[in-house]
Amino acid sequence: MSVQVVAAKMAEVELKDINSKSLPAAMPVAQKQEEKSAIKSQTAAPSPSPAVSAAAKVAAAPEDPTLPTPSPNLMKMPAASVLKRTEPQHNGGEAFISPDGTVTEAPKTVKKQIQFADQKQEFNKRTTKIGRRSLSRSISQSSTDSYSSAASYTDSSDDETSPRDKQQKNSKGNGDFCIKNIKQADFGRREIEIAEQEMPALMALRKRAQGEKPLAGAKIVGCTHITAQTAVLMETLAALGAQCRWAACNIYSTQNEVAAALAEGGFAVFAWKGESEDDFWWCIDRCVNVEGWQPNMILDDGGDLTHWIYKKYPNMFKKIKGIVEESVTGVHRLYQLSKAGKLCVPAMNVNDSVTKQKFDNLYCCRESILDGLKRTTDVMFGGKQVVVCGYGEVGKGCSAALKAMGSIVYVTEIDPICALQACMDGFRLVKLNEVIRQVDIVITCTGNKNVVVREYLDRMKNGCIVCNMGHSNTEIDVASLRTPELTWERVRSQVDHVIWPDGKRIVLLAEGRLLNLSCSTVPTFVLSITATTQALALIELYNAPEGRYKQDVYLLPKKMDEYVASLHLPTFDAHLTELTDEQAKYLGLNKNGPFKPNYYRY
Amino acid sequence: MSDSQGDGKLELKQASKDVKESENVAEKYSAMTVTKNSEMGIGDIAGVPAAFTPVAGHKPVKKQIQFADDKQEFSRFPTKTGRRSLSRSISQSSTDSQGSAASYTDSSDDETSPRDKTQANSKGNSDFCVKNIKQGEFGRREIEIAEQDMSSLISLRKRAQGEKPLAGAKIVGCTHITAQTAVLIETLVALGAQCRWTACNIYSTQNEVAAALSEAGVAVFAWKGESEDDFWWCIDRCVNMEGWQPNMILDDGGDLTHWVYKKYPNVFKKIRGIVEESVTGVHRLYQLSKAGKLCVPAMNVNDSVTKQKFDNLYCCRESILDGLKRTTDVMFGGKQVVVCGYGEVGKGCCAALKALGSIVCITEIDPICALQACMDGFRVVKLNEVIRQVDVVITCTGNKNVVTREQLDRMKNGCIVCNMGHSNTEIDVASLRTPELTWERVRSQVDHVIWPDGKRVVLLAEGRLLNLSCSTVPTFVLSITATTQALALIELYNAPEGRYKQDVYLLPKKMDEYVASLHLPTFDAHLTELSDEQAKYLGLNKNGPFKPNYYRY
Repeated sequence: MSVQVVAAKMAEVELKDINSKSLPAAMPVAQKQEEKSAIKSQTAAPSPSPAVSAAAKVAAAPEDPTLPTPSPNLMKMPAASVLKRTEPQHNGGEAFISPDGTVTEAPKTVKKQIQFADQKQEFNKRTTKIGRRSLSRSISQSSTDSYSSAASYTDSSDDETSPRDKQQKNSKGNGDFCIKNIKQADFGRREIEIAEQEMPALMALRKRAQGEKPLAGAKIVGCTHITAQTAVLMETLAALGAQCRWAACNIYSTQNEVAAALAEGGFAVFAWKGESEDDFWWCIDRCVNVEGWQPNMILDDGGDLTHWIYKKYPNMFKKIKGIVEESVTGVHRLYQLSKAGKLCVPAMNVNDSVTKQKFDNLYCCRESILDGLKRTTDVMFGGKQVVVCGYGEVGKGCSAALKAMGSIVYVTEIDPICALQACMDGFRLVKLNEVIRQVDIVITCTGNKNVVVREYLDRMKNGCIVCNMGHSNTEIDVASLRTPELTWERVRSQVDHVIWPDGKRIVLLAEGRLLNLSCSTVPTFVLSITATTQALALIELYNAPEGRYKQDVYLLPKKMDEYVASLHLPTFDAHLTELTDEQAKYLGLNKNGPFKPNYYRY
Repeated sequence: MSDSQGDGKLELKQASKDVKESENVAEKYSAMTVTKNSEMGIGDIAGVPAAFTPVAGHKPVKKQIQFADDKQEFSRFPTKTGRRSLSRSISQSSTDSQGSAASYTDSSDDETSPRDKTQANSKGNSDFCVKNIKQGEFGRREIEIAEQDMSSLISLRKRAQGEKPLAGAKIVGCTHITAQTAVLIETLVALGAQCRWTACNIYSTQNEVAAALSEAGVAVFAWKGESEDDFWWCIDRCVNMEGWQPNMILDDGGDLTHWVYKKYPNVFKKIRGIVEESVTGVHRLYQLSKAGKLCVPAMNVNDSVTKQKFDNLYCCRESILDGLKRTTDVMFGGKQVVVCGYGEVGKGCCAALKALGSIVCITEIDPICALQACMDGFRVVKLNEVIRQVDVVITCTGNKNVVTREQLDRMKNGCIVCNMGHSNTEIDVASLRTPELTWERVRSQVDHVIWPDGKRVVLLAEGRLLNLSCSTVPTFVLSITATTQALALIELYNAPEGRYKQDVYLLPKKMDEYVASLHLPTFDAHLTELSDEQAKYLGLNKNGPFKPNYYRY
């Protein structure tokens, strides 16, 4: 019995931790700066100062050993992840500014092919799509917020009229949407169908829950990336009985043809690729501010929608049953609100669910490190000496993949526990400067800044590949390479040779930005995990009996987390064993879960 | 055969106890782990076969050492290995720490109970009770061997010796008394503590180590093969001492704590804290705490990250191969193996078997762990689907009756069945004790169960824990535990008034990290340090803790 108490206590600890996580002192500062440069209208963002002082308070509090100081160290998690605001800048930049002209051109040709030569499309699409994906579309990433780096089959330059000035109607005469071009709907539908095939969990959820319509009466307003995967989510929500109005959470990430397909399907979608700042808020406003319709659920990615409603329509919260938030940034903002006592509805943090975390970090990076390096450099991994900086989830994934390819992997770490794990997994634990002269590849995934500094770059051997899997673009001190004596030579998109006066070359990938965002893709399967989690969180919040959730930020109940996992098992033809009644009694478990205590580490 | 019949009875008794326990407990964690009662049962049972086989080869070893000291260095190693393989294996995995008997000296060579003997060490001190103080020298060598693998404790000694963080501490301990514990005890002494020690298991004491400790002036009350009465007598002798009152308790299993509560509740007025290592003991502490009866702070070192990873993942990753090889000499490459359960133990087993080229399938009940198995490249199946084709069945679920008679009936000839998980409940061994099946003991811990049609199933350790029965626990793993215990004692003893209330605490993460860092030099691992700028950027202290509490590692 008492062990249950423990579990309960641990749960509290977890919650407390997460609360305190909401105020990483380091983050608001960094965020502030980056925000300024990225999106100006962010002035409305919650001032970081209360958070900083709160964090200071926590840090000053005496160390409580059971709940080891919920504080400065917790900053690492959020800090380790890319701030949402910074993303549009790079990625948007990549897609358009990229000197590799062909990248932006390619989609256009594709589109024309499709429009004028529909018969050939099936044949052409695959190859072109792969070509395009490799450089542009990569969504919802890892240690970052969910995120799509622009690119759509249609690019915004082919039509100068702003969607806001156009009158469009779908085939049913409905005009309650605002997108680039409703005529692209057919093509978007095909995109959605492709995505459906890789999102079996949502499809299964549709089938399982369609009879009972658990979201009947739900009016969901959403603000996420508008991609084929999101479309599958939205249509699932609709199938479960919800009404949806949707806006984009990123001005570049919308797939116009998907938005068109959604609009054609009757969804009120307000989004196009290449919105202006003003368009962005206009779209959100159009979602929320509609005569005779008030949302009762919010699905947010980044917290912009929540923020807008707070600012403009605070009364709306009276009807709102809950907020589901996916991104690190948005969760951070929610915790700030909660801390300030301003959160007046329950909110669900789906970012920190076990399944999502494992897939976003460990499994996704395990694959994308090889993919990203191959696509950019065509390097052979066998026998190469690689140093991986940081042995968290991302580092574990990278090291495992490289070891499997026969590379000789070194690890650097600051945390002795992770360091010991690296040792026990058979990796040499070194300091970077001990091996920097001999390694062929340097991969950073620490979440820290200036892990690879100019001094190290100077000492690397000729041809050494340097890339970042960790955090934004701070890990490699790229700025220090912009000096007159070094020559930069762009050899491919995302690949720079930096040439020292003596002729030594260093291969710098994605200018030190996230390799997995820039140079590889995120499998739909990973997005499926996220989308399913979101759908279940919405169902949970919407159907929760009065009083189960207070005005606080919650983690997804473990049972839901387990359900997300179980929905994805059929993909692997995996057959879950069921407990017999006798066994369940013996273990003191419910046959249907949850199967683990809250503090279980997986 | 007669021996196995005896076992059967014991097991039955034990099983019924288990059931009772688990009904009370109603929580997976405690259920997953062996309760103290069943522990002692295992000790009993494991002790029996151990006393049969290896001991015969034992006595000569002892004599060699006594009479031919020159040759000793040479002859000891091989014999030691032989012995360890079947008997000594301590502190294990999903169970409580546990020593399955065996010592260089066995209890039968001297009929007088240590309680009736008067012994004094070379300094004339007789405040101890061990089998034979003359074995002290040999025990010292054992301790020295252990010291070499426990460099973290030695470095802790060096680092903390100047300041004597335990000066004034009076520690009463109740753990397995082995060479590794001796290193811990002597470290505590070096840090300034006074220690009185007793054994937490009637079979696990290494007599010569106890002698060496006594010779060095530590009050030890323990010998191998104590009776139940002896066991409590020893504990009482530790605690009930004129002019000496303990102020710290180091316990493994909760018996000492229990005894002090029952007999000397006043002692708790002086006690600053309890450090408890085992699952059972921790469970008991939480019960006390729940009932509001815990009147001093207690530290749960069992659930520290480092200890958990080493006790389960890393240790089982090695012992599954070791245990199977030693018992069956099976070749792993290409074998089809089904591992039931993909928790830490299952993950370790699968990783090891996959690395040797086995084809591994998984069964799971938890969809999250099942998904992890999928992503790690293992087929997730139901046991029934593969039972006909697999060569090895390994259980590590913590559950009962995972492998039933029906499934055993369907296995192919020569299939190896073993348990890495929980006590002896996972494989329904009782169902194999039917007249139509013939049991044939082919080696110690290896039984062939023969069906009427001639099919044989190879059952290891009669369904008890393979890693306890048929392989050893590396000193390095014990070093993790011992270091964690030492740090927990230091933390509790030196904590400012009010930091710890009357509750059960987990070891602070910083301490956990320190334990890990003390073990890094073994791997010649070079930890990177944060620069001031980086620490500020991350909002971390340069010296840790580095991760939030909920970090999953």
